[in-house]
This record gives sequence, structure tokens and C-alpha cells, in this order.
Amino acid sequence: MRRIENIIERIEHLRPFSQVGSRIVEISNNPDCSFDDLVEVIKYDQGITANILRICNSSYFGFKKRITSIKQAVSYLGIDEVVRLAVMENSADNFNKEQKGYDLKEGELWRYSVSSAIIAQELAEKKHIENLSLVFTSALLKDIGKLILNTYVKESFEDIMELVQDQGFTFREAEQKVLGIDHAELGARLAERWNFSRATVNIIRYHHDPEKAPRKDPFIPIIYLADSLCMMTGIGVGSDGLAYRYYQDVVDRLGLSDTELQKTIATFLDKLRGVEELITVSGGN
Amino acid sequence: MEVFVGVGDMKVSNDPEVILATYSLGSCIGLSIYDPLVRVGGILHYMLPESSLDRAKAKRNPYMFGDTGIPLLFTEAYRFGAKKGRMKVKIVGGAQILDQDGFFNIGKRNYLILRKMFWKNNVLIDFEDVGGSVNRTLKLEIGSGQTYLKVSGRGTRLI
Repeated sequence: MRRIENIIERIEHLRPFSQVGSRIVEISNNPDCSFDDLVEVIKYDQGITANILRICNSSYFGFKKRITSIKQAVSYLGIDEVVRLAVMENSADNFNKEQKGYDLKEGELWRYSVSSAIIAQELAEKKHIENLSLVFTSALLKDIGKLILNTYVKESFEDIMELVQDQGFTFREAEQKVLGIDHAELGARLAERWNFSRATVNIIRYHHDPEKAPRKDPFIPIIYLADSLCMMTGIGVGSDGLAYRYYQDVVDRLGLSDTELQKTIATFLDKLRGVEELITVSGGN
Repeated sequence: MEVFVGVGDMKVSNDPEVILATYSLGSCIGLSIYDPLVRVGGILHYMLPESSLDRAKAKRNPYMFGDTGIPLLFTEAYRFGAKKGRMKVKIVGGAQILDQDGFFNIGKRNYLILRKMFWKNNVLIDFEDVGGSVNRTLKLEIGSGQTYLKVSGRGTRLI
């Protein structure tokens, strides 16, 4: 199908992950990474360093003492947090842009991505998953396919909406039917091209279809559920709305009660003001 | 002047220049009330039905929950001279993810708690657009009382 080829070719139009950014994502997938490994990678990139320090010194973290070096940042915040900030720094530019096809104004997709990554991390903590950086970064990047598909969704919006409104398709299914590829699959291929880990590629590919994911994958159900909760809050949600499927089985297998899920939402809302600041300071607008 | 009502937030005004606006209504409910005689209006945007979930959080932010937020919206409007009998009451939101029919259907429960409280307190609904799987925005012009609903990807209309 020529169309799919065209769509995939547009991957070249995105600002690619910097070498340092990709290296940091790699580190985030490795639970054994050390303090020194991380400092070594980051300190040679002035842009990332400056931005991480700016975020560290924002009131979201509320440190009394000013943080002036990456080494200090890592020792204050810990490796996981600095990895998260570095990945955010690398992604914000792309995600911040207006996405007309999805009816998202400038900054909204970024707001959604950061919010669902924070919720995912919280759920992962509840489930005692160790690799929180992998969960956070993958949740943050899971809609990366939308950045490319946006243009095509805009052109075929009426056809997509007809399937969603009249025929019970999910938005993802309708993208697939009308455009030949959906944002999850496209995002996964993009992640493959950028040499993201197998775990991250799988999360991106199956984040709307957890029942099709490899059963042993511990991350996908969590990121799926976080995405669902985030859609329900409505923060940064666009024209695709909540038109995705809810898989009760997947949620049940996680063993989180209704009360725990509601509490997760409440906790997230409770810190929303701080989160908003993190979103702004990381996205730069 | 647009005044932003966040998620788990409430604003009441009698300033004719003000437009109250609340975005990102997914499963949340946006409740707008307006008394045309005194030109007082308010919007509440709550996310969860019942404050019994977490009393401490409800105390810090009562607008997060339907059962604590709804009475406060009316009380605040009364303080500005509004009367219940004259109030135009509009509700939007309460969306759900497809196939979300089980117990964990916050959108529906957010709507039901409101219906229950309104029934007990004799409050009539003038307009509602709830449910479905869409994201909504609600705006209320205090000067004119005109209320607008935007459904993402589907444009804006007067309600």
C-alpha cells in the first residue's frame, strides 16, 4: 500500500531523538545503570544539562539550595528522576506542537503525555514494579505516532468519525481502516527506527490493545490502565476522546480495586498544580 | 475576560465581563448554573462522585467530588443573590471509555450522584449532554447567560 509507505516516510520530518537522548532512553531500560554512567552521558550535552537544571530548580521540586551541576542533580533527585527529566527534555519540542487532526492546541498532547506518565508511574509503584523509568518514559512516548498521523487524520477526519460514531469503531481501529495504519503501530515503527528497546516498542504498539500483548509483559497493562484513567480525567484529550476500548479483564488481572483506581485519580488531581508547572517548565511554554 | 475553571475547581461570578470556561471534561461533570435576574453564574468541574473516598482530600479540595462540590456551587451563587427557582441548570460530561460497563464507570456515577442530589433538593435540569465517549468544553458568559458546549472534533454550539 503506497499510502502507508508515504506516512512512514514522514518520520524523517520529526526532530529525531538526540544521540544523548537515545542513550538515556537505553539507560532507562537498564535497572543496573549507575550514577556515574548517567552523569557521564549527560554532562557533555549542554542543552540537556541546562534544561535539566532549570527543571530541577523549579518550584515543582522545591529545593532550598540551588542545583548547579548534573552530578548534584543526580544525587538530589536520584537516577530515575534525572532520566525522566532528560527524556522529557528530548521529547517536549515534538509533543508540544499543535495537532489539528486530533483537535489539540499547542501544548495539549504534551500535557496528556506527562499526565499519563505520572499516573503510570504511580500505578507501577503500587504494583511494586522496579523499573519505574521504563514505565515513565514509555508512557510519555506512547502517542508519538500521533505526531505523524495527525496530518492524515485531519485529511480523513470525517471518514474516521463516521466509523467511530456510527459503527462502533474505536478511534484507533478507524485510523487503521481509513489510513491503513494507526498511531500505535506507527509509533512502534518509529521507536524501532530510533532503536528504542523491545520493551518500549511493545508498550507503544499495544498501549490500546493490551489483550494482544505478550502475556508476560508486566508493563503494558499498567500503561494501558494509566492511559484509560488519564482519558477519563480529560486532561489534554482531543477529538479521539475516550473512543478506545476498556478491557475489564486486563484491569482485573492487575488486582487493583475500584477504590484504589479512584484514589489514584484523586492523588493525581491533588498534585495537578505542581504537575502543571512541571509540564510548563519542561515544555518551555 | 476568560476565567479558567480547572479540573476539581469551581468559580462563581457576577462580573458581566467574565466568561467562565472549563476544558477537558472527560468522565468529569461540568455543571453550570445561572440566575438571569441577578446575572450571577457559576461552573463546577468535579472528577469523582463521592467524598467518602478520601475525607482529607475532600476537605482540602471539596470541588474534586460531586457530593461536596455541588452544594458549595449553589451556596456560593446564593451569596451573590441568586435564587434556586430562577436558576438555569446545565450539565455536560460524564463520558466513558467504550465497553466500560462494569463497576468502574466513573462517568455514569458522576452523573448519578448529581441526579440523586438534584432530585432530593428539587433542582430541575434545563439542559444536559452527558455520556458517550467524547471530550467536552463548557463556557458561560456571565453578562448574557449564554452557555456554549464544545465537543472536541465536532465544533461549538449554544446550549
